Amino acid sequence: MTAIAVTGKGGTGKTLVSALLIHFISKKSRKVLAVDADPDSNLSDALGVEVERTLGDVREIFQVSRDEMGTMNKEQWLEGKIYETICECNGFDLLVMGRPEGEGCYCFANSLLRGILRKLTRHYEFVIIDSEAGLEHFSRKTIDSAEYVIVVTDMSKKGLATASRIKQLVKELKLNFKDIMLIANRISSEEAEKRIREFSEREKMKLLEVLPYDERVVELDLKGLPVVNLDESSEVYRRMRKVAEVFLKG
Amino acid sequence: MVERKRIEIPADAKVKVSVGPEEKFPFDISPMYEGERIRKEDMFVELGGPKQVKFELVLALPMDQVEDMKVTLVGPDLDEMKEGESYPYGMLYYIAGSKVETDLEPVIERRNHDFQNYIEGYMHLNQRYDIWVRISKNAVKKGLKSLIQIAKATMMLYKNELPFIEKIEAVYITDKNLVEKILKEIAMPIYDERDRRVETLHDEDVQEFYSCTLCQSFAPTNVCIVSPDRPSLCGAITWFDGRAAAKVDPEGPNKAVPKGELLDPIGGEYSGVNEFAKRESGGEYDRIKLHSFFEFPHTSCGCFEVIGFYMPEVDGIGWVHRGYPHPAPNGLTFSTMAGQTGGGKQVKGFLGVGIAYFRSKKFIQADGGWYRVVWMPKELKERVAKYIPEDIRDKIATEENAKTIEELKEFLKKVDHPVVKGVVRKVDGKKITEGWPEVVGVKEEKVEAKPEVAAPAQAPTAAVQPAVQVPTAPMPIPAMPAFQLPMPMPSQQAAPAGIKLIIKDAKITIGKIVLKKKGEK
Repeated sequence: MTAIAVTGKGGTGKTLVSALLIHFISKKSRKVLAVDADPDSNLSDALGVEVERTLGDVREIFQVSRDEMGTMNKEQWLEGKIYETICECNGFDLLVMGRPEGEGCYCFANSLLRGILRKLTRHYEFVIIDSEAGLEHFSRKTIDSAEYVIVVTDMSKKGLATASRIKQLVKELKLNFKDIMLIANRISSEEAEKRIREFSEREKMKLLEVLPYDERVVELDLKGLPVVNLDESSEVYRRMRKVAEVFLKG
Repeated sequence: MVERKRIEIPADAKVKVSVGPEEKFPFDISPMYEGERIRKEDMFVELGGPKQVKFELVLALPMDQVEDMKVTLVGPDLDEMKEGESYPYGMLYYIAGSKVETDLEPVIERRNHDFQNYIEGYMHLNQRYDIWVRISKNAVKKGLKSLIQIAKATMMLYKNELPFIEKIEAVYITDKNLVEKILKEIAMPIYDERDRRVETLHDEDVQEFYSCTLCQSFAPTNVCIVSPDRPSLCGAITWFDGRAAAKVDPEGPNKAVPKGELLDPIGGEYSGVNEFAKRESGGEYDRIKLHSFFEFPHTSCGCFEVIGFYMPEVDGIGWVHRGYPHPAPNGLTFSTMAGQTGGGKQVKGFLGVGIAYFRSKKFIQADGGWYRVVWMPKELKERVAKYIPEDIRDKIATEENAKTIEELKEFLKKVDHPVVKGVVRKVDGKKITEGWPEVVGVKEEKVEAKPEVAAPAQAPTAAVQPAVQVPTAPMPIPAMPAFQLPMPMPSQQAAPAGIKLIIKDAKITIGKIVLKKKGEK
């Protein structure tokens, strides 16, 4: 199993990158699990699929109904509900983590979740996680590892600052990652590209790809259409296919 | 109890029978297949699942009624099924052995999930009337022809992994009418019977309790003891959950705790629990009474759903749950009290519990049970109303009746709550409180001495309020009604000779506390 976490400051294009990675990798591998671990993003929209329920919803149902479960096995109950929640999409599975915890104690629910997700994920060839910059699911160990961390940034100062912070956080969380890499998005001038290369060298984060500003992406965004509708004529689409090939080759 | 017997198979049913172990299986069997998800695109057929009627059931029978390693399949087999379709599914196992008892049925039944998931290309989810099975196209391509092969593999695993099963026989059903009939007439009544065990099983009926140390990361000395009459403080774990977890991972966060000797049947004190608590808390405390509020109460982790608080003014106990944001009649909110009590300490006068503990027949029985309860928020009271004895239900105030101690006093007097004239403990008929002095006319000290039984050593002369203790380091004491200030500081366990300050009947405002070693200036 190869786990790839895609993260970065909100609005930098991390869901675009995640969706296209999932799109290309699932064309070659039959065992891809996409995980939406950012409550603010909409990976399912970017992928053009509909999701009825999230893992957060299941956890809430578990919290309120556990007193009524009698002698049923709670782990098996939770596992069944999670498997039902996973969306069987065309070519890949999608799990949406959804809302954060409510009040009360989630130690038991989360301890069960960790075990279930660990058993589930090991059967996939690729697990691609769209994660918010705080990496909450990693710090709580609901998702316990990622071999590759891809940080998406634009040229904004905040985007770059977040990238540096994520690198620090990834180290502290001991994710056992092999590599932390950078994808720069909406880079429209040579000057900008030069600056991003300097940043990558200074932070010792490999620059995986530089994506240009792309009218077509903006257009899809405006219309609320899935980014996987892009085609060969888009530079972003072609470059992301190259990125996917790097991971497919291993 | 539902009678345990072999099911009747209709004479006109299509039946396949096979007896004896299978030589070879066309699939791998290994725990590494656990969690394998068979996707719709890769699935040959679905058995049970959201669209079909289904069940799984284990029945314990006498030895002579079970034919070892026999499989009966009623209804269409895999080779008669259409790819991509879903079918009804019933899995029934008869088991026998000198150590096999009806009580073990659910435990053995749950293992069907584990064992079947060891089978490559076979996905098993959920339990009871909810099972959901998928068989992969790949498994069929590799030679899986019949559900009899699945049944034989599962039975083999049962006998290998649970050697006390001496005989096992399976009846698999894909015939819709028969699945429906067995589910309705036999399986459902048995599931219901098991769930009623939650209410009818008591501490005295079992040999082991279970611990839970999931919370030790932030409450290092906390040890939750989960017994049939006392679920965990967070409300998540029942005795049945503890047993299931301990069976799967004996070294995990839920361990079996042998009860040992029963030391106090009313308070719920067991030598095995005391020993375990002493060991797991690093010697922090060595006695726990499971059903006591004042004397050696259970520790409180911080996860508890409800906190109980003693109000000396009325000699009664109030309860407030996490979701109630306003102050209780003692002037404190849930979060304030929780902050003082959490961290894995025994705190006299406060007790964290799970909502499910209100269902317990032994609910704080040492201190009068429900008859000592004087206040709880309306929302909480409604949630547990059916577990409150009828003769006290209307005498317990909510925020609609009383928001302050004075209002509470008035209410309790009006409804003639037992605390007013003295509480008689239901479990042994002993009168445990004297009642209010202004009502029963007893000298003040005597009345107030009673709730202090918990701390006779520290407060030999009865005090109105529990003593204020400042266990170690300097810290500002908030201007609040006096009670213990437990400080969940890791350093506290490390310091063997802590400092204990006992201050009685005082309102305190402290600007600074300076602690010095002996001889230090």
